[in-house]
Order: sequence, then structure tokens, then C-alpha cells
Amino acid sequence: MSVPVLAVSGLSVAYPAALGWLHALEDVSFEVGAGRALGIVGESGSGKSTTALAVLGLLAPEARIERGEALFQGASLFSLPDAERRALRGNRISIVFQDPFGSLNPAIPVGRQIAEPLVLHKGLPEVEAAEEVRRLLAEVGIANPQEIALAYPHQLSGGMKQRALIATALACKPDLLVLDEPTTALDVTIEAQILDLLEQLRRDRGLSMLYITHNLGVVSRICDDVCVLYAGRVVETGSAESLLRRPRHPYTKGLLASLPRVRERKHRLAPIPGRFPDLSAPPPGCIFHPRCHFAIERCASETQVLAAGVRCWRAEELADAAWQAPAETVPDARNTPDTSARALVEVSRLSKTFQLGGLFDGMRLDFSGGFPLKFEAPRVQAVDGVSLSVAPGEVLGLVGESGCGKSTLGRMLIGLIEPSGGSIGIDGGTPRQSARSAQIIFQNPDSSLNPRKTVEAIVGRPLALHGLASGDKLRERVVELLETVRLSSAYLQRYPHQLSGGEKQRVGIARALATSPKFIVCDEVVSALDVSVQAYVLNVLADLRDRLSVAYLFISHDLSVIAHIADRVAVMYRGAIVEEGPVDAVLRPPWHPYTEALLSAIPDLERGAGVQRIRLRGDAVEQGAQGRGCRFQHRCPRKLGAICETETPPVVRAGPGHTIACHIPIEAKAA
Amino acid sequence: MLLYTFKRLAYIAVILAVMSVLIFWATQVMPGDVAQMIVGQFATDEQIRAVRGRLGLDDPVHVQYLRWAAALLRGDLGVSMMMDRPIGPLIEDAILRSAVLAGVSIVLVAAIGIFLGVYSAVRKGTAADHAVSIGTYFFISVPEFFWAIIVILLFAGYLGWFPATGYAPMSDGFGTWLQHLVLPVATLVSGLVAHVSRLTRSSMIETMQSQYVIAARAKGLPEALVIRRHALRNALVPTITVLAIDVGMLMGGIVVVETVFSYPGLGRLLIFSIEQKDIPMVQAGILTVTAVYAMANLAADLLYAFFNPRIRYGNAVAR
Repeated sequence: MSVPVLAVSGLSVAYPAALGWLHALEDVSFEVGAGRALGIVGESGSGKSTTALAVLGLLAPEARIERGEALFQGASLFSLPDAERRALRGNRISIVFQDPFGSLNPAIPVGRQIAEPLVLHKGLPEVEAAEEVRRLLAEVGIANPQEIALAYPHQLSGGMKQRALIATALACKPDLLVLDEPTTALDVTIEAQILDLLEQLRRDRGLSMLYITHNLGVVSRICDDVCVLYAGRVVETGSAESLLRRPRHPYTKGLLASLPRVRERKHRLAPIPGRFPDLSAPPPGCIFHPRCHFAIERCASETQVLAAGVRCWRAEELADAAWQAPAETVPDARNTPDTSARALVEVSRLSKTFQLGGLFDGMRLDFSGGFPLKFEAPRVQAVDGVSLSVAPGEVLGLVGESGCGKSTLGRMLIGLIEPSGGSIGIDGGTPRQSARSAQIIFQNPDSSLNPRKTVEAIVGRPLALHGLASGDKLRERVVELLETVRLSSAYLQRYPHQLSGGEKQRVGIARALATSPKFIVCDEVVSALDVSVQAYVLNVLADLRDRLSVAYLFISHDLSVIAHIADRVAVMYRGAIVEEGPVDAVLRPPWHPYTEALLSAIPDLERGAGVQRIRLRGDAVEQGAQGRGCRFQHRCPRKLGAICETETPPVVRAGPGHTIACHIPIEAKAA
Repeated sequence: MLLYTFKRLAYIAVILAVMSVLIFWATQVMPGDVAQMIVGQFATDEQIRAVRGRLGLDDPVHVQYLRWAAALLRGDLGVSMMMDRPIGPLIEDAILRSAVLAGVSIVLVAAIGIFLGVYSAVRKGTAADHAVSIGTYFFISVPEFFWAIIVILLFAGYLGWFPATGYAPMSDGFGTWLQHLVLPVATLVSGLVAHVSRLTRSSMIETMQSQYVIAARAKGLPEALVIRRHALRNALVPTITVLAIDVGMLMGGIVVVETVFSYPGLGRLLIFSIEQKDIPMVQAGILTVTAVYAMANLAADLLYAFFNPRIRYGNAVAR
């Protein structure tokens, strides 16, 4: 067998912490064979990005490589002098980072940034480099390379930025391409485009890749081999196919069981209980044993070694055991929403227009007629005539890409944003009047909890504000609320920074529950959380729905999460709902072309399952002002013709409670 | 870009119009009767009435304002009451001398401040960084008038290197001209350098941690090039704003420094005319200061646009 492109063995990296050293990586070994793609999978804190930075030689100066070796095409990387290390970077080893929005210098035209490695490593003169840049941009699927090369980063959409960054990484024809969560910051339809591009590049160029991600679906699409990291240790490694189909390590089993899936709806997910270990004082024995169902006494004392690709001495014995939902999650009977009763939330023709900037920002010269100096503040129609209703105890999922207006809609429902038109009725009143019965949970638990207040103060505040409890009663009620989200009273005096991400989000839920609301807007509540934690929070929310009959507007960009928790789904595109109906109906044809594209964009574990792969052109934000015709016409893969450009599509009934706004006849879609 | 400049000029016109009203109103409520001041303590009522009539002081205030403003728009700043000479040339001379002082100072503030800021950001946490911090904090803590006195005592009195006060025109020779500038400039610069260096340091440190700087390193660029090409230009954007504010502070400083060093510039002229209740002179002087400040902000905004393509090119999305 030929020499692997990259062979890392026994790598240990530590960062200085308040008390001693934080061991971010411990004895990590893996290999990337020539022309192969290795996926490194792990949740936040697993050390996957540290691995990438160590390979590139970009670790922060305070980090310390304690042990281990990295061989690049057989030559040791760590013993190279700085200058030689630099000569490899961007040349023979290159990287694409997670955040395309921050990875380009805002002050330099894109083309010049792509040309930098060519000029530096290959010594190309500027003119030739510029020509090569245009060729590279064309290769990564940019239609007008000439124009894009001269543009500044802010003029490009996220997807185009990531394409430009991939072009930069490919410029010097690297032997190894490292990708650190390259699609995580992008919308799902754009992610699908980028993954297509990466697949194609692998085929055309025979690239070797080190692909770092938290997303198991992406791994199954791109990678040949997988290496699962937990708390800086490799817990399992093997070929992508066998590892995803027959996971052997309990952690891998847990990760897969935590994943909500579009086509396999369960009442409760099986999350991984407990907290991520403190890496400055890791637990003795197996690092995973405090969170493992299968742990027995011996696991707590014996350090595990990686044997036959798995770091668990019981792997053989547990080969057929599935990860179980923890006993505390009671998969009780699903409470069916009372759809016959009067709707709890009734929204009719709701609109919101935002004006951008002040008077002077709208000032422009226009010689087409009248006084040439005109003042027209630019406007954005965020929500455009949306009507929907939610029954008591019902979960309405609202799905759409970033910028489609779903958060604006959610905020209008609880009176945080004043609508420009239309009406909202909640529990028989306006959002202001029903403030107690309608609440919201925000996306980012780090910024939605006041860092200077204790958990008790945060959860108790709405109680005191609405005069629902005081004195001893107040504390009793707070403890009760914390118990509802499965937090003990030990959390009362803690501050947000002492909580993990999942715990913070549960405090956010407890706060929303304080006034015993009948309706809660969940605005991307799980998107900032890791998969195993996300499953836990989803279970808590499902419990509340069943026990307290709370109705949710569940806003998310992730169709699999929506499919898991919602009763009905509304698909939103550029301010309007294009399809609405019961979950099972929306996930099956006939469907709106946009819904179809969203579904086919999900990098799925079960390959080729039903949905034909269709791709959207461009980005949602790219297109100009909303004109005539269908709002999806510019990106629609099934556009009929002139009718889509001139006439607003009719809302067609596709089944019981299922509507689609599209010109394509229902019969044609069902086929 | 042209439209942007045009917009900003429109802003400035509005600001100046509003300021002219405020200035005129403020000088009206100053104590003392102007006519009385002109004709002296022992003048008869008749003489005072005559002067009031000549100056139009008996007209309603808004008529007086409009007359003044109309003259301003024609470029006529009026006549100084005390010196009985047209204000235009008087202010022009004073401005030129002050501009030399302020111009040299702001250039030095920018150069020294940015250099020290970048230097200490790159050497964050080292002894050199701490030394720069302590030094600049020391200079910012000492008030200008006190510095001026110390500097005069030390360099003019004890060491005798530079003249203590006064101004020499360029025609007296470049050396002499420069000698008279050194001490006032040093006094003005000392306090303001800290603003620029502190801000540049923190914005540079922030920029050095940004994703695009890491991405630049990942391309294999040497550190010096990473700093020069990728970090510096973006880190300087907030510095420009502070420099514009510093121009304003410099105007305040100039009044103090010109008085202490007997430097015949705009600051000293203003103090003098306020003392003498030379109202037309005060009005013209303050309006000039306002205009200079507004123009400094315009210059800063244009520079800002130069460093930040988002302003230069709007939000046009390339397809």
C-alpha cells in the first residue's frame, strides 16, 4: 500500500486552563489515504478543530503539542522549521474554514485574495495569477468569474463566498484539503450545492480530504472513512458505511439515536444523558462512562484503548445492543391536538415592511422625471400576507431558509414586532392583551439569559412581573418550573455561565413556561445545540406539549427537526407561505417545488431514499425586489414558463388541510 | 462615491445653518451693550443711538440675523468692532497660522499613535507593550496647560533649545519657523497620541484574531505580510473616527496652547475678541471653527469609505 497523505499518531494537545492544562486531544491517531476522504466527526469540544489546526501548524501560541507525530507524505510535520511549515500551507496542505462570512478580508477584492497563494508559492506574475483565478472560479461553479474576481466580499452571497474560499484552497493543487465544517453556516439548499461541488472536485481532481463536521449525514455523502472523536479521544474509526450502519461504540450509537430523521418519526429520541466532561480533570477510566448506559463498574477504573477500531472493551458483547432512551423519558401517548375547537392562534393576512436606513440613506439622483433629487428609503417586505392558525395543543412547524421572514413572523405573534398590516388573534385577544398566554423561546441561550442574574431570578421574573407568585410561593413555583424541564433545585443559585448549552436552553424554556402559557413561539430553539443535547431539549418540549397541552409555533431551518416534533408544517419562502399541511402530507408528493428542493437537500443517512435529487440555482437573498408572478420563479427547477413570471400562483388544495401555492397542476406534481 | 460626498456636503450645509442661528443667538445674550462698548463709557445717549442706528441694532433679532447671514453667504464676514478692519483677512491670517500648528500636530498624532498601537498589539503582553501603555497613559493624564508650562520651563528656560513663545513666518528662514513650532506641537500631540494608540491597539488585537487573518496565515503568508496586507487596513477603520474627534479636541487644545505660547492663531484671536466683546469677530471665529470641524469629519468619512468598500460600493450584489 502506498504512503498515506497524512498519518497522525498518538497526538496529544493541551491548552493552559485556570487550573493546570486542558487536554483537548489525547492520543489521537488517524490516516488519510491518497485520494480518500476521512471524516472527523464530533460535537463541540470534541477537539476536531484543534486537530485541523495542529495539522496545519496554526495552533494558538499558548497551545502545547505534548506527544505524537504527524507525517505528511511520510515526512514529519512537527519537526519542520517555521518557514518550511509555511511553505506547505496553502500550497500542499490547504484548508477551508467554517465561516465563509468572516474568512474573506472585507477590504480586498475576492480575486486578489484567491491569487495570493499562487503569487506566494508558485511565483506567478499578477497577470497570470489573475487568469488562473478566473479559471479556478469557473471550476468551482461561478458563472461570471471575471466579475466576481473584481467584487468585494460583501457583494457576494454566503454560498459564493464559500466557493471562492474553496477556489483559494485549490489554487496551488494541494495534496491534502482540510475542510472544517465548510457548510455549517450555510442554508440547507446552499449546503447541498457545496456538497455537490466537493463530490465533483473529488472525482475530477482525485483530492485527498480531511473533512471535519458534526453532521453524520454529510459524512455519509462525502467520506470513505470516519473517525469519531469524543472529548479529544478517538472512540471509533472505520469505513463510513459500516460505522454508520453498525456503530460499535456506545457514543456513536447514542449520536445516531439522537438524530431526528425525516422519514422515521419516533415519539421520543434517545439522547445521551449527562454533561460533557471537564477536560482539565477528566474522569478516570473510560472518558465516556459517566454518560454511558452500558457502563459497568470496570469502565470507571480501566482506561480504554483503541482496539480494532473501537475504544470500548465491551464492544463485541454490545454489538447488537441499541442505544436506549433513558428511563426518565416516558414515551406516553401522544396527545392529539383538539382541532375541532376554536383556533388558539388566528393570523390573517399579516404583513411586515421594514424601512432600511434614514431619510438621507434613501437619497438618490434620478433624472427620469420630476425633481432629480429623490428621497425613497429602501424597503424590505419581510412578511407578505401570511394567514395561519394553530389549534390548542398543536405544534405548527415553520420551515424556511435564513431571511425568509420566519423569525419576524414569530416575533409579531407575541407582540415583539408591530405588524404593518393584517390581524393577529391569540386566545381571543391581541398579542399585547394575551402576553401571559403567549411566550417565546429564543435561538441563542447564551445571549437570551441575563449573565448577571441567577437562574432563580431569571425564571422568577415573569412570575413577579405578572403578580403570579411572591415570597416563599415564588421560590416553590420556580423549583416546580425547573423540575418541569428536568433541572434540580441545585440550579437555583447558578449563573448562566455555569450552565451547559442544553441547560441554558432549558432555563429559557422554564422562563417561557412561568406564566403557564397556552402558546409558545420556539424560534430555532435547538439550532445552536449539539445533536445529543438537541434530542434532550426536543424531548422536554414534546413532554410539555403532551402534559400541559401547550401549542407551539416551532420555527426552524431544519426540516428533520420539524418533521419530528410538528403536527402540521408551513413552508415559508421570501415572506409568504408556499405550502402548508399535515407533516405526513407535506413530506410526501405532491409538493411545492421548494419543499421538494428542501427535502432533497438534506444530506441523509439513508441514501437515495425516495426523493429525487433536485437543486436550486443561486441564493434566496440574491434576487431583487419582489415583482410580479411567483416569488420562487428565479430559483424554481420546475418553472413552467411565462405564467410563473406574470401571475401570482393560486393556492390549491392538495388534500385534507394541505395547500400548495403553485401553478403546476396537482396531478402533475403527484407523478 | 460622488453622490456620497454630495450627501455629506448637504449634511454640513444643514449643520452650519443651524450653528449660525445658535451662534448669533448666543452672542446676542452676551452681557453688555455693543454700541456702548464702541462709543465708550462717557458717550451721550445721542451718540449711542447713532451707533445703534448705523449697526441696525434696533431692528428685530431675526432681521439682524438674516442681514448677517445674507452677508455671510456673499462671503462678507463683517467688520471687527475693535480693530475696525474687515474680519475676512484677519481670520484668514490667523487660520493659516493655526492650520500649520494643527496640521503638523494631527499628522504626528496619527503617525505616532498608529505606530505605537500596532507595535504594542503585535507584542501584546510583553514589557514593550506595558511600557507603551504606561507612557501614553501618563501623557494623557497631564492637562495641556500644565504641560505647556513644564515644556517652556525645561526646553526654553533651562535648556534654552527652543524659543518660549511667539511665531516666526517662513520668510525668517525654515529653521526659525520650525523652532517656534516645536514646543506648541509637542504639547498638543502628547495628550492625543494615547487616544489613537490605545484604540489602534485594541482594534488591531481584535483584527488579528479575526477569521480572515487566520485564513491568511493558512495560505502560508509570512506574519509581516499578514499584518500589513490583511490586518492593518481593517484595524485602522475605527482609528479614523477617533482622529476626526481628535481634530475637534485639537481645536480646544489650540486655544490653550496659543494663549500660553503667545502664538498668533485663530484660538488666540477668539479669546481676544471674546474678552473685548468684539461680537462680529466672535461670530465669524466660532463659525469658522464649526466649519473646520465639519470638514474634518467629512474627510474622516471619505477616508472611512476608502478603507471600507461596503460604503464605497453600496450593497450591490454581484450575480
